[in-house]
Amino acid sequence: MNNIFNPVRFWLLLKKTVYERPLQLAGFTLLPLFVVVVMYAFLKTVNGFEVAQTASFAIGLIGGGCFVASLAFGYFSSKAMGYSYLMLPCSVFEKWLCGVLLVVLYLAVFLLFFRITDALFITYFKQHLNPARANYKAVYNSVTLLLFDSGMGTSAIAMFLNFSGAVLVGSLYFNKAPFVKVALLIAGCWCAAFVLNLVIVKWLIPGAANGVPYLHVWINVGKDVARLDMPEQAEHLVKLFFTGVLPVILWSTAFIRLKEKEF
Amino acid sequence: MIRITDLTFGYNRKNLLFQQFNLSLQPGNIYGLLGLNGSGKSTLLKSIAGLLYPLKGRVEVNGFQSGKREASFLSTVCFIPEEVYVPGITAERYVNLFAPFYPLFNRDQFATYLQIFDIATDKKLDKLSYGQQKKFVIAFGLACNTATLLLDEPTNGLDIPSKKQFRKLIASVMNEDRIMVVSTHQVRDLDSLIDQVIIVNNGVLLLNESLPAVEEKLFFGIVEHTAGRQDILYAESVLKGEAIVATNDARQFSKINLEHLFNATVEHPDEIKKLFNGETHE
Repeated sequence: MNNIFNPVRFWLLLKKTVYERPLQLAGFTLLPLFVVVVMYAFLKTVNGFEVAQTASFAIGLIGGGCFVASLAFGYFSSKAMGYSYLMLPCSVFEKWLCGVLLVVLYLAVFLLFFRITDALFITYFKQHLNPARANYKAVYNSVTLLLFDSGMGTSAIAMFLNFSGAVLVGSLYFNKAPFVKVALLIAGCWCAAFVLNLVIVKWLIPGAANGVPYLHVWINVGKDVARLDMPEQAEHLVKLFFTGVLPVILWSTAFIRLKEKEF
Repeated sequence: MIRITDLTFGYNRKNLLFQQFNLSLQPGNIYGLLGLNGSGKSTLLKSIAGLLYPLKGRVEVNGFQSGKREASFLSTVCFIPEEVYVPGITAERYVNLFAPFYPLFNRDQFATYLQIFDIATDKKLDKLSYGQQKKFVIAFGLACNTATLLLDEPTNGLDIPSKKQFRKLIASVMNEDRIMVVSTHQVRDLDSLIDQVIIVNNGVLLLNESLPAVEEKLFFGIVEHTAGRQDILYAESVLKGEAIVATNDARQFSKINLEHLFNATVEHPDEIKKLFNGETHE
């Protein structure tokens, strides 16, 4: 018997995972999608398309990803469920892959859903534009689909990978209410990073007004405030860390933690 | 075979529960694991199941290191904890989802066990009573036909007829290749079920003997007076006099009273060890 990966066994595990808690899984997937539609519709009316696209994409993707990730290894809220999960005759890799696959599937479903939602809203908007308007063409062209490979799209996907990875790890460390505890932990880490960054910036740069970890610093120049960006090469390294290195660390930590999980 | 070698374990490194604990369990036996609350019974079972890792030492089950939790190991072990988990699905779906993981699972046996336990299969499992859920999981665990079956307080939550059915069922599914370990603090539930008794207290193995060996070495009976008798290890007042556990110097046959054996062992561990050839089987 292959103790690392067996496709039949993995398929059985996947089937068991889905059919064991179908309503919960469907609810955790559909709720963020519903929120996206409501948010998009509301923000489009109040703030316009760009804000609606950005906010609903980021919140739906990151929030929904965390929701689904909390479900992927969410077996440890009760002793009985935890024992049942750990004693199920599958390899650690298969269990981890199954959890990861749920999160990745959510990403795929979300991207597809968002693209359709975005396209429908934009099409509706464009169909109802009055061609007789003076600036018809400019308004028509100003509204475009949100590109997933744009700066905003890649940042949101990177945050999705980081936050869902953190929740995956968190659900293996915190048996009760992992979602809340991880959210508090992330908020705590961000605040600590912000303060630390500010302290270092104020120490190194006289006249520094504010700083965002770890990309920009605002400096008082006379009565104005100027933005100082991180050198391009250093910024590239920071982005690489948050889009590649950190997610890999988090997702592989989930595997190691699952392997070492005692219950 | 289950072999525990020099097991050191503690939930806290400063307060170890087991220190260099050794135990060997052979196939073809039903072991009754007895101990007070917090004595380490569940911890021992969980260590055997691979749910807990030893700080030092090894736990081997049929040649597998249990802590690795390999798929091939897990398909040969069934651990039924005190609190059981059943999802909100029907029995039929449960079997369809969980049984394929156990190559020796037998549907006919499972149907028979459900009938014996009188479990309604038309309802969703989470709508069953706690006792019914437990019986369902026990029936499923037995039908998996795993080489090792670990049951932690299986009779907790079962009504009196169910406890009787449980004993009958366990006795009927036993075979030469299987090891069953049943942990409980309700020793009467193990009456006429086990063939080997293990008593642990505070992480120390006090006794691991077959029932015939216990019958040979100890006498269980009721006497009018205990005054002046040096052979008595344990005495308890009962209606007809004093229920005693004494050394069986006269080689008399007596029916083992597990509760009294347990009390005698916990109260006089050194005498019991000495009696069983100075040491208990590891």
